[in-house]
Amino acid sequence: MIELLPLLLFLVVCLFLLAGYPVAFTLAGVSLLFAYLGMAAGVFDGAFLDLIPNRIYGIFVNQNLYAVPMFVFMGTMLEKSRIAEELLENMEAAFAGLPGGLGISVVLVGMLLAASTGIVGATVVTMGILSLPSMLKAGYRPSLAGGTICATGTLGQIIPPSICLILLGEVISNAYQQSQLNAGAFAPDFVTIGDLFAGAVVPGLLLVLAYAMYVGIVARFDPDAAPPYKRGSREVSARKLFSGLLPPVVLMVAVLGSILFGLATPTEAAGVGAVGAALLALGRRKLNIGVLREVSLETVRLTSMAYLILMGATIFSSVFRGFGGEQLIDEIFTGLPGGVFSATLIVMLVIFLLGFILDFIEITFLVVPMVGPALLGMGVDPIWLGVMICVNLQTSFLTPPFGFSLFYLRSVAPDELPTGAIYRGAIPFVLMQLGILLLLALQPGLATALPELLR
Amino acid sequence: MTVRSAAVISAIDTFSERMGRIICWLAVIEVLVVVVIVLLRYLFSIGHIGLQESVMYINSALFAFGATYTLKAQGHVRVDFFYNRLAGKAQALVDMLGAVLFLGVTGVFIIWSSWDYVALSWSSFEGSAESSGLPIVFLLKTLIPVLAGLLLLQGVAEFLRALGKFRS
Repeated sequence: MIELLPLLLFLVVCLFLLAGYPVAFTLAGVSLLFAYLGMAAGVFDGAFLDLIPNRIYGIFVNQNLYAVPMFVFMGTMLEKSRIAEELLENMEAAFAGLPGGLGISVVLVGMLLAASTGIVGATVVTMGILSLPSMLKAGYRPSLAGGTICATGTLGQIIPPSICLILLGEVISNAYQQSQLNAGAFAPDFVTIGDLFAGAVVPGLLLVLAYAMYVGIVARFDPDAAPPYKRGSREVSARKLFSGLLPPVVLMVAVLGSILFGLATPTEAAGVGAVGAALLALGRRKLNIGVLREVSLETVRLTSMAYLILMGATIFSSVFRGFGGEQLIDEIFTGLPGGVFSATLIVMLVIFLLGFILDFIEITFLVVPMVGPALLGMGVDPIWLGVMICVNLQTSFLTPPFGFSLFYLRSVAPDELPTGAIYRGAIPFVLMQLGILLLLALQPGLATALPELLR
Repeated sequence: MTVRSAAVISAIDTFSERMGRIICWLAVIEVLVVVVIVLLRYLFSIGHIGLQESVMYINSALFAFGATYTLKAQGHVRVDFFYNRLAGKAQALVDMLGAVLFLGVTGVFIIWSSWDYVALSWSSFEGSAESSGLPIVFLLKTLIPVLAGLLLLQGVAEFLRALGKFRS
């Protein structure tokens, strides 16, 4: 029984998380109380707790994580200075005349917005406020409009540079090194955040393509669901569109490109991108001390939120290890009939279900350190695993009735969009997600080929 | 809510809010320092270890002081699926128990367990492992108990606030 305690710890943590106290403290507090009970019962070695201060210090000095505040700063600056909004409005107006054009432009701008902010909630809310009314006004079937916006909002995770990929890259590279050290490698191979970005490019674009094609096909065969927009209501000149579109797109491409081609670290690229975003805002006379303070405060809030969860998860994983959790997972995985395949499938299912209650930061920090070393030790490719987790979580966030993305849209959608319509509209996109997930499982090269090419 | 606990809550809240509004400028400074590092490296091929290490200090301070402001601003995520459906008193109960059992235990544990770790660093005024790095690693490590202490302080306010809500 004692050897099953780590799993009990995990279950108890999940149970207490549902009570709704902030995740970071729940993770740490439950784990510590569990450890003290274990010490009292003589089944936990307190020495594992003594390692925690140095591991917290390790979080402080982890250079890869400095990319988080930089990216948050850049994304929030683009958002608060309303550059992202203008982008959305101009694109919509320009392409609205084509059949399905409005829907497709929502997908494309959503992709850019997702790439710039990288936060699912923010993207869904922004698009729900801006694009949903114009889609409904244009006569789009409410379920199609709702589904498109929810799905596009989840792109924020997979389209690099995303904060999800940065954190996942960090945790996966640690798990990868751990698995090789466990196997006795002297000079462990490593993966970088840039590798994960590169791995996500093709699957991300495939998703965008699938979404856009779906909207196009619906518009072609069922014009009532996606009628062409009546011209004249909001014309936008090509010049205005160009000048609105070009600078933020150039900024995103430059930031992403310099990371992918190894010219700059994610932190450096995002730092320059943050200044670039501020300059764009300044050029539009949208930058003042108030905006700067708002952006900075938001950066502080999101950064310390993520860091505190990492700290809580670090305490959890220390206790998990102290109870022998690593060996337990290893034994369970190697004992499974079906080997690597079943192990990966189980992990994916657990992550999918956790996606109903937890956001990606918690899942990344909680689950990957638990199962990553064992899974990677069985020969799973780290980049492929990262991309799979990302697409999987995206699917989870989109799946009725618990998906996060659906809740975010519900919170800003008007009453003429019933919750049932949002659910119905999301289902085709969930199926597309599952299709890409299956494709990735069958063709891992979709994720791993580009990083290898760029190395 | 008693007059005294209302005063305590408001004093702590004001402190955390002001601290957040001051340290948020660290985000701007961090961005600027990163850009200066990039410019020096790519335009002039100058790598300055002290400057690079300063990002570590700025970022850590942003987190260590910012986490408390974020707690005050209700910025630490919850699993709110059930929580949002609870009655006000039940929410208050969750917040009271959480403040003591989770936040309280964690904060006290971190201060207690990091004490020797930080004291050891102070005893030798530990500096950077790099010869041209910053000689103040002991201050960086001190941020660990400081972070926990500040969270505990705001935790007192959160507890009292929940208690008041529970009693009302």
